[in-house]
Amino acid sequence: MRLGIWLRTLAAAIALATCLGLLAHGVPAQAGAKPARIVSLDLCADQLLIDLVERERIAAVTHLAADPEVSAIWEKGKGIPITHGAAEDVLRHKPDLILAGPFGVAPTVHLLRRLKANVVVVPLASDLDGVRTAVRIVAAAVGEGARGEALIDAFDRRLARIAAGLPQTPAPSAVIYQVGGAVSVAGNLADAVLAAAGFRNKAAEYRLTRGGQVPLELLAASPPDLLVLASAADEYRTVVADNLRHPALGLLRRQRASIEVPWRLWQCGTPHIADAIARLAEVRGALGAQRR
Amino acid sequence: MSGKPQRPGVAPPRLIGGLAVAALLAFALSLAIGPSGFGLGGAGEAADLIFWEIRMPRAVLGALVGAALGLSGAALQGYLRNPLAEPSLVGVSGGAALGAVLAIHLGLSQTFALALPFGGLIGGAVAMLAVVALAGAHGGPVTLILAGLAVSGIATALISLALNLSQNPFATVEAVFWLMGSLADRSLTQVWLAAPPILAGMAVLLFLGRALDALTLGEDAARSLGIDVARTRLVLVAGTALAVGAATSVTGVIGFVGLLVPHVLRPFVGHRPSLVLPASALAGAIFLLVADIGLRLAQPWMDLRIGVLTALIGAPFFVWLVLKTRAELAP
Amino acid sequence: MRIEARGLRVSLKGREVLRGLSLAAEPGRLTAIIGRNGAGKTTLLKVLAGLIAPHAGTALLDGTDIATWDRSRLARAVAYLPQERLVHWALSARAVVALGRLPYQPFGAGESDADRAAIEAALAAMDAAQLAQRPVPELSGGERARVLVARALAQEPRVLLADEPAAGLDPAHQLTLFQHLAALATAGRTVVVALHDLSLAARFCHTIALVHEGRTLAAGAPREVLSPEHLAAAYGITARYQSIEGVPVVLPLDVLP
Repeated sequence: MRLGIWLRTLAAAIALATCLGLLAHGVPAQAGAKPARIVSLDLCADQLLIDLVERERIAAVTHLAADPEVSAIWEKGKGIPITHGAAEDVLRHKPDLILAGPFGVAPTVHLLRRLKANVVVVPLASDLDGVRTAVRIVAAAVGEGARGEALIDAFDRRLARIAAGLPQTPAPSAVIYQVGGAVSVAGNLADAVLAAAGFRNKAAEYRLTRGGQVPLELLAASPPDLLVLASAADEYRTVVADNLRHPALGLLRRQRASIEVPWRLWQCGTPHIADAIARLAEVRGALGAQRR
Repeated sequence: MSGKPQRPGVAPPRLIGGLAVAALLAFALSLAIGPSGFGLGGAGEAADLIFWEIRMPRAVLGALVGAALGLSGAALQGYLRNPLAEPSLVGVSGGAALGAVLAIHLGLSQTFALALPFGGLIGGAVAMLAVVALAGAHGGPVTLILAGLAVSGIATALISLALNLSQNPFATVEAVFWLMGSLADRSLTQVWLAAPPILAGMAVLLFLGRALDALTLGEDAARSLGIDVARTRLVLVAGTALAVGAATSVTGVIGFVGLLVPHVLRPFVGHRPSLVLPASALAGAIFLLVADIGLRLAQPWMDLRIGVLTALIGAPFFVWLVLKTRAELAP
Repeated sequence: MRIEARGLRVSLKGREVLRGLSLAAEPGRLTAIIGRNGAGKTTLLKVLAGLIAPHAGTALLDGTDIATWDRSRLARAVAYLPQERLVHWALSARAVVALGRLPYQPFGAGESDADRAAIEAALAAMDAAQLAQRPVPELSGGERARVLVARALAQEPRVLLADEPAAGLDPAHQLTLFQHLAALATAGRTVVVALHDLSLAARFCHTIALVHEGRTLAAGAPREVLSPEHLAAAYGITARYQSIEGVPVVLPLDVLP
């Protein structure tokens, strides 16, 4: 992924500033020591935590960490104690560090802060730089700065390899078509993944409903070069997912290229999204070869 | 009304003919309108796909479901001798939606596709029986509304419970589908599933004309005219469960069609219940198709639900009807 | 056709309404059923119409148990006119009368010439022809009553069972109704009428059955049945049975303590 050095420096500066700010807020009981009883209340923070820290130091994670549907490292997540996020439940683990996500648990975070707990909020990654920021924030909070940098290095190197392998032809269009007809729009992590794999996100070209959905008719009238599906057609037993089973979609998939890239690979801004980018880059290669 | 004696059981031919033509027009219009801008004459792979796989099922379902709702509303009103009756108000639609939700979330519809309309059918039948038991044929309009409220309240609560307990991450969004109804992006799969029971139910209901006419004079006089009222009730439950149950299982609850349509048509057919039946089927189809077309023209991007639109039109009408009925009952 | 009740026992809502009631109504006669409120008149008519099954005793039509009669045959033979003058929808008067032809119209059949003739005759008989196209809710109580009687007449029944057909009618229409019912009887039908007006009963009916506490207290010619003893026992009143210009009149005088 080619980024201006300027942007990189800016991102790093923001990351450092955020780290310092957050650290200033929540001072652990034993200042200077690495947190040894860490609780995570957010799926994405779970995964970063598990990758950065030994199991003995993790007091609890969410039940989603071991869920193969949404967690990229669900196998590693098995066997870790679980918390469902209520403040009382969290405090029972006697944590010296609590990682939380930006949405969904705001009242709990507020309460925990009032009780003088050490809470670090891990921001949502909306592009690849956001991934690096998130890694750095968690690494700093758990006292594993070096490991964090190592992870980011590996991530960057993998991205560079992928980018080098992409064909030089004009980028084909792609759309990530989800349950209910929702598509991933620009400014989103999934959009960044498409771009990193050499695709142009076609979602911007459709007129979307207020809910961010594209009517099937529009998709059929002007289909993308690649249809990316984040779930299997039978995966969700709900009327809302009927669009994935619609015969028209089936026809479209037969007429164009399509690929299933499971949701768990891009649900969270962790270095594991490189797996998703790699899979898409493979298809990109195939499409690029066809075009020559 | 003309002085010509009318053949009972046969609606004024001009009215039926006019409604049929209007229904065909509405159907054709529904095929021609959509967000992609393709009209009826589009050519090419994309246009074919859109026309046959997306627009056709939507138009067919709109017509069938509208007809089912209009007809069952007319039949319910005829049997209960009460102009305030209609499938969603008496809780039949809610029961059917509950049946469908259970069929989906218990995994039954995955193993056996017909489990979906069947679930709607059972749910609708149970709800209907509950209401008829609670309100009966002797209950006045108030008793009927109360019974219907009770049954549809229970159904809605159980739907919410089922979805709440579901592990499915989309449960809340799904609740919106069931409670507000939708014709959007329905496919031929749903048409093949729902059409046979809907058509069967409608055929059954159309046979009720004679009995409903006799019931105008009350249950005793009807029985003395040779009508088997118990069998009429059974036929009504079966027909409504089939038609409304299957319809609701693929579109969610769409209300007020069965209330509005028979009421509007009644003066044009001399208030005879048997004549209201076929006219309501056609007019119900027209109403729903036009409402759906209106949705697509006016606010295609706002994702407005069809049930919301029919409620916006129907609920004020319902209030007016309640006030009018109350005034007639007052000494 | 003769219609008969033998030892009828009927319970409604846990209360025994008919306690072994027997009576017979012959063709060619206008039979009145009288008795105080709650005596069981309506229930009796409903049993004779085949609407209620007695838990003991039998109702016989033309010698056969009514319970065994085929429903559509029964509908062509017996017309029942309930006390409540229900017309739930705003049909025209003619449409209401036409409902009386339903037993002759299997599903899908239209109106035949015979149907049309019967409807028009019934309307004419009840002096309601000019009301034909008017919606029933717009009619006065008396007009509505006449239209409903016309409906029963349109059925062309062998037996007509009417529950208080003259209630609410003005004197002229009361007289013409009963004149017509008497003429029907004379023409060979069996007509059974439940009513309260003892004078009308005395004047037009060939036979009167006095029902008291679920049993027949007395049955026979008006003069016999409307005796002071019977009236005292059944109604708790004293009354005078008189003849004014050849027309019998029963005048209630006083309530007994």
